[in-house]
Amino acid sequence: MKTRKLATVFFSLFWIISVTSTVLASTLEDIMQRGVLRVAAQTQGPPFSFVNGKGERTGSAVELARLMAKEMGVKIKFLNYDWDGLIPALLSGKADILAADMTPTLARAMKIAFTTPFMYTGNVAFAKKDSPYRTLADLKAAKNLTVATLLGSAGTKVAAETFPNAKQKVYKGGGPFLIDAVLKGRTDFAVNDSSAVYAQVSNFPPNSIKIIPERIDKSPLAYAVRYDSPALLSWMDLFFLHIKLDGRLDANLDYWVNSLDWKNDHD
Amino acid sequence: MLETFNFRVIIEYLPLFQEGFLYTIWLSLAALLGALIIGILACIMRISQSKLSARIAIIYIESMRSTPLLVQLYFFYFGLPSLGILLSEVVTGILVLSLNSGAYLAEIIRAGVQSIPPGQTEAGIASGMTYYQRMRYIIMPQALGLTVPPMLGQAIILVKDSSLLSLISIMELTRAGQTFTSERFMPAEAFLTTAVFYLIIFYLLKGFSIWSQKKLIYTG
Repeated sequence: MKTRKLATVFFSLFWIISVTSTVLASTLEDIMQRGVLRVAAQTQGPPFSFVNGKGERTGSAVELARLMAKEMGVKIKFLNYDWDGLIPALLSGKADILAADMTPTLARAMKIAFTTPFMYTGNVAFAKKDSPYRTLADLKAAKNLTVATLLGSAGTKVAAETFPNAKQKVYKGGGPFLIDAVLKGRTDFAVNDSSAVYAQVSNFPPNSIKIIPERIDKSPLAYAVRYDSPALLSWMDLFFLHIKLDGRLDANLDYWVNSLDWKNDHD
Repeated sequence: MLETFNFRVIIEYLPLFQEGFLYTIWLSLAALLGALIIGILACIMRISQSKLSARIAIIYIESMRSTPLLVQLYFFYFGLPSLGILLSEVVTGILVLSLNSGAYLAEIIRAGVQSIPPGQTEAGIASGMTYYQRMRYIIMPQALGLTVPPMLGQAIILVKDSSLLSLISIMELTRAGQTFTSERFMPAEAFLTTAVFYLIIFYLLKGFSIWSQKKLIYTG
């Protein structure tokens, strides 16, 4: 009986100490103490984060995160998740930052804190090459279509608003699943972020997919931290300002996102 | 910890969970029926005197039991279309679950059949009964009764396995939890609610198991 009481007191003390100590230390200090920046990233999201032909992890977000760790003077550790697992991983404290091509929607911002956007993009619709639909207006007017989107992506909501007549099929995983679904005829068309679509289509047979060039919406992309990491957030904002001014951000985006240059080096 | 647990949002998502709950039950029942048919057929083939059909049944049972369900699901969903066979999500899901569970049920039923003393088969032969008659009137009624508890155990496993169908865009219980998480970023609320619904299915099956053991087991 006595040992049980003692154990209870001991564990409550331990709990209080661990809780208060996490409140006192900032995430930025934790990173410095640990010497490792833990980054939640996806594996199936070229050009932002993927594994190349040699089995190495790379992409725009991966390289920017590496640059971030270098500027911090710490090592980097990437944690792999499906798209819909990124935010839970950040919230549960498994990762310090979330580095992906994520749109800072107001819904997401209820839970996580976004940096200032590092670029602007938008969702596009795409279908099979021989599909009769050539414009967004065609897709909006058509009845009984199925639209595929990615679980947890901004495209799910955008597609529901833009194509109210279409039935949604929500895939879990990464953007390539959507292209596969379109090619196999599991869906009439799909909606996803344009930079991701253009990069990922290049991995499939040429001229099999038709991307409707018209953007459905305009949206920013940003990295994220938890709301309990204000110091880390302001450091990251400053980091983006610096690399924007010294040209390293544009060099990264021009290589990875605004062109298919990376395809030659990473197949 | 509990003060940040958001019951209001859970209530908001209850209609979605209800939809997933009913869909999980529907899929599981359909797959269970399929598994039962496949299981009985595979068991009969497995214990038949024909070497060929026994060999086919062994290959089926062993290949299903030795590979992960997720791999089977991905093969049927992503692999088969490349070979020219395109099945819808729901058909793929029910088919894979039936085939997978059918292999386990075949072995469960076989254990039941083999637990019937050989004297009864011999008595059947002595009475001039055919193979079919012996199976239909002597062996199966006893064997199936004995195997009800392990079969319900397998049914519970099947219900839990149906959560994998969320990976091929089927809107069942686990997908309801995933959707909740991806819209509100509340994994604790989402998956705890999901678990509670699975628990409800478990208790329904358990109740049926207790009832059926009283009713169905042939006690002589």
